[in-house]
Amino acid sequence: MTPEMLSLSNSPGLFVGLMLLKLIVVFSVVMLMVAYATWCERKIIGHMQTRLGPMRTGWHGLLQPIADGIKLFFKEDIIPSQASVVPFLLAPMMILVPAIITVAVIPFGPDVTVSGLIVPLQITDLNVGVLYILAFAGLGVYGIVLAGWSSNSKYSLLGGVRASAQMISYELAAGLTIVSVFMLSETLSLREIVALQSEPLWGTFSFLPNWYVFTQPLAFFLFVITGLAEINRTPFDMPEAESELVSGFCTEYSSMKYALFFLAEYANMIVVSAIAATLFLGGWYGPLPSSLGVINLLGKIVAFMFFFIWLRATLPRVRYDQLMRMGWKVLLPLALANVVVTGFVVVLLQ
Amino acid sequence: MDNNLVQIALQNVNMWAIMPSLILICFGMGLLLINVFLPRGTTKHAVWISLIGLVVTGLFVFKGWGDPQYGFNDAVALDNFAAFFNITFLVAAGLTILMSDEYLRREGYPVSEYYPLVLFTTAGAMWMASGTDMMTIFLGLEVMSVGLYVLAGFFRNQVRSNEAGLKYFLLGAFSTGFLLYGIALIYGVTGSTRLTEIGIYLNAHTSLLGNPMTLAGLVLIAIGFLFKIAVVPFHMWTPDVYEGAPTPITAFMSAGPKAAAFASFLRIMEYCFFSLKPEWTAMLWVLAVLTMVVGNVIAITQTNIKRMLAYSSIAHAGYALVGMVAANEIGYSGILFYMLAYAFMNIGAFAVLVLAGKKGEDNLTLEGFSGFGYKRPFLGVAMTIFLFSLMGLPPTAGFAGKFYIFAGAVKAGYLWLAVIGVLNSAVSLYYYLRVMVYMYFRDPLEDYAWVSMPVSVVVSIVIAIAGSLYLGIVPGFVMELAKLAVF
Amino acid sequence: MSSTTGSLPTTAPILFEDYLALGIYVGIALFLVAILLLLSWGLGHRTRSRIKNEPYESGVYPTDNARLKGPVPFYLVAIFFILFDIEVIFVASWAVAYDRLGWAGFGQVSFFTLVLLVGLLHLWKTGALDWGPSAARQNRKNQDIP
Repeated sequence: MTPEMLSLSNSPGLFVGLMLLKLIVVFSVVMLMVAYATWCERKIIGHMQTRLGPMRTGWHGLLQPIADGIKLFFKEDIIPSQASVVPFLLAPMMILVPAIITVAVIPFGPDVTVSGLIVPLQITDLNVGVLYILAFAGLGVYGIVLAGWSSNSKYSLLGGVRASAQMISYELAAGLTIVSVFMLSETLSLREIVALQSEPLWGTFSFLPNWYVFTQPLAFFLFVITGLAEINRTPFDMPEAESELVSGFCTEYSSMKYALFFLAEYANMIVVSAIAATLFLGGWYGPLPSSLGVINLLGKIVAFMFFFIWLRATLPRVRYDQLMRMGWKVLLPLALANVVVTGFVVVLLQ
Repeated sequence: MDNNLVQIALQNVNMWAIMPSLILICFGMGLLLINVFLPRGTTKHAVWISLIGLVVTGLFVFKGWGDPQYGFNDAVALDNFAAFFNITFLVAAGLTILMSDEYLRREGYPVSEYYPLVLFTTAGAMWMASGTDMMTIFLGLEVMSVGLYVLAGFFRNQVRSNEAGLKYFLLGAFSTGFLLYGIALIYGVTGSTRLTEIGIYLNAHTSLLGNPMTLAGLVLIAIGFLFKIAVVPFHMWTPDVYEGAPTPITAFMSAGPKAAAFASFLRIMEYCFFSLKPEWTAMLWVLAVLTMVVGNVIAITQTNIKRMLAYSSIAHAGYALVGMVAANEIGYSGILFYMLAYAFMNIGAFAVLVLAGKKGEDNLTLEGFSGFGYKRPFLGVAMTIFLFSLMGLPPTAGFAGKFYIFAGAVKAGYLWLAVIGVLNSAVSLYYYLRVMVYMYFRDPLEDYAWVSMPVSVVVSIVIAIAGSLYLGIVPGFVMELAKLAVF
Repeated sequence: MSSTTGSLPTTAPILFEDYLALGIYVGIALFLVAILLLLSWGLGHRTRSRIKNEPYESGVYPTDNARLKGPVPFYLVAIFFILFDIEVIFVASWAVAYDRLGWAGFGQVSFFTLVLLVGLLHLWKTGALDWGPSAARQNRKNQDIP
């Protein structure tokens, strides 16, 4: 008899317990990673610039994120006199919350069996998982636009408008690269996408897994670039652009509200890394054995994060017209061509 | 189950059913692409390519005559009815394009995007005529309207043109809302958007006929189309839009899109609401009378010729509505015939205006036409023919068209409606004749030296004259075709 | 998991459980963010003055309202986004069923994509995608035609 999926009907107590456990663990890990991503960034960039980075709080500054957090709690919470108060308060939440909850569909390990019932290591396995990701990635732009508009400051407005144009421009190419992935997988469920990637490459080469980065290298490349632009990281951090726009859309924010924007940036980095790892690099599958699935996924995410931080230390910011030109004239046609060619090949091969 | 659905969906794809509009769209897109690679201000190629596109499309429409094609799960039908209207649209678009180049150059807008827009608009009109599903019709209406909004406001530095574009857009969007709401209500009642299915359902469930939801749906759908046809009391946009829009576009709007709205309106009323015929004929009876009277009476007071023709086009919509009230074979085929005839005579009249106008068109008043007939005899004669045709005097197309429509009304027992229609034609004599009085019985105030006779516009005038006279002198053949085309 | 060819990949329907987990997760996220905001609101010190609460404008008094009209190219981008995003949706709906639609489906989607590529090319050549100095140059070149 094949084991059943654990569900509310066959074992309610166990289900609710495990569900809460998964929720709390995922949430804590994400928040912890966000906090320490800031530390990592400062350390890595410091060393790349032959500095040491934070050193005073704890061993090699390990307690720095906590110290920062405490400091931010006690900072003055300023609401500018001309701001539209309600959207001004909503904006930081609207930008952080979608970033956190996008993680909910990422599978972080193979199914485990608990007392004869299958438990997927994933908060929720939506059958439209990929669309869910696209939807929530698209929500982030509202927070930025709202923040820029409601502050009633010129720098904020410019930052917000730039951000919206940039994010929606790159969302197109991002959406199309994802389309070319699920054209291969024929499913929108991330759990199944990962399962498909654990088969041998093209069903024949046993020395390589069927990671979609091998079958869709161009899509992977495009996705990483558009991902960077979507989360406004260097070299695409046009919305903040501190050398021209002070601090862009979050110029008027202070205290914890400013910190939420900061957290959201790192949370978004984690989300993009996790999606890239899941869609293209096999998620929890490989290179280590599947029993260490969580380690696999975390390792890939950390590698991506390091790559993003490295880029920040290396590349200058691109000019805005260059940014838009690349989005519309290079990435979009390439992504379209990729979809059509992929379609041609898969229809030919079936 | 899903497999079956996919197979059904694919089997019912019948490209022949949409081939004419597909070809037109392809020509339009190709033209757009060619345009951007040529320096701005070159438009000759666009005229030629769009004319070739219209001719090729026409060939496919002729091929479809008598060989009806249905496709996309019966959402599209290229039957005789659609084919007849398609020819009307193609004639209107062709005549419009012929007179446009010279006009755009004079007004300082030699912009080649104009021609693809006309082609797309025509394709939208074709979908309206061949749509047998509410959604297809709505799609066609939108494609047509969006193109027209842009075209109406095409002279973006002219306040009047901007006003026309914006006004048309706002009211058009508003009326589309009515239409869509009506479609939604009817879908709610019958559970279908397919015209035939709605008709069968309503016929089978007679208790639904008196249902307020059905009636509200019927009225809202009718309002949506009556807006486009510019029937009183939904005509308020017409004069301003027709006056402000570029003259060739005014000509096109009064012929092509109006015919398209009539086509869809006819099809919906006949396919869906035949069980409610007494109700909607009574409604249209009142509207037809109102439209004829208001259009003609207000036209009398106009001194700007473009505006006068706008009001006259409202009146003509009223005449055509009489055919719908009659709701019999001769009435319906009369509408088809009348729309074709109207395309020839009205666009011809506008073509004369294109030549007579100066830059900015401030001289298109009655005074501006003083002595025009002597100084420019060819244009004078042409204008006379078109005005005769608009009046409905024999031996022109207008007479034949009105004759058929009123005959249909009489046959259906609407004697009084026919009488009112004829009386209205008599009223219209006044303002049409007044133009001729100015042309021939006033001393010329100007030498009309600016009037040149470019070949393309002359060709369109000659075609329009030929059409008006042919349909007037030997209407029998085309009328037979129109009879074959109606349901 | 999936799936024999010719039928839909068998994905489990979304169950109440999935929504429950997602809902609780969203709840936790919202709750935590709200707590953070409230805490900082309560803990932070507060001094108010007119100058302090003015929007930042590099240290000078702010001039006028900041609710400026955005430059036109941003609106253009918004429109283009809507057009092309709808395209992505259509392509996506084909991509999950391409194997059952076969060459006919591929042909139709390719035509659809071609139409949009033509649109993109048109935008490109008319300069709608140009920003900054190159766009200004383009505009000057077109000055003679209104």
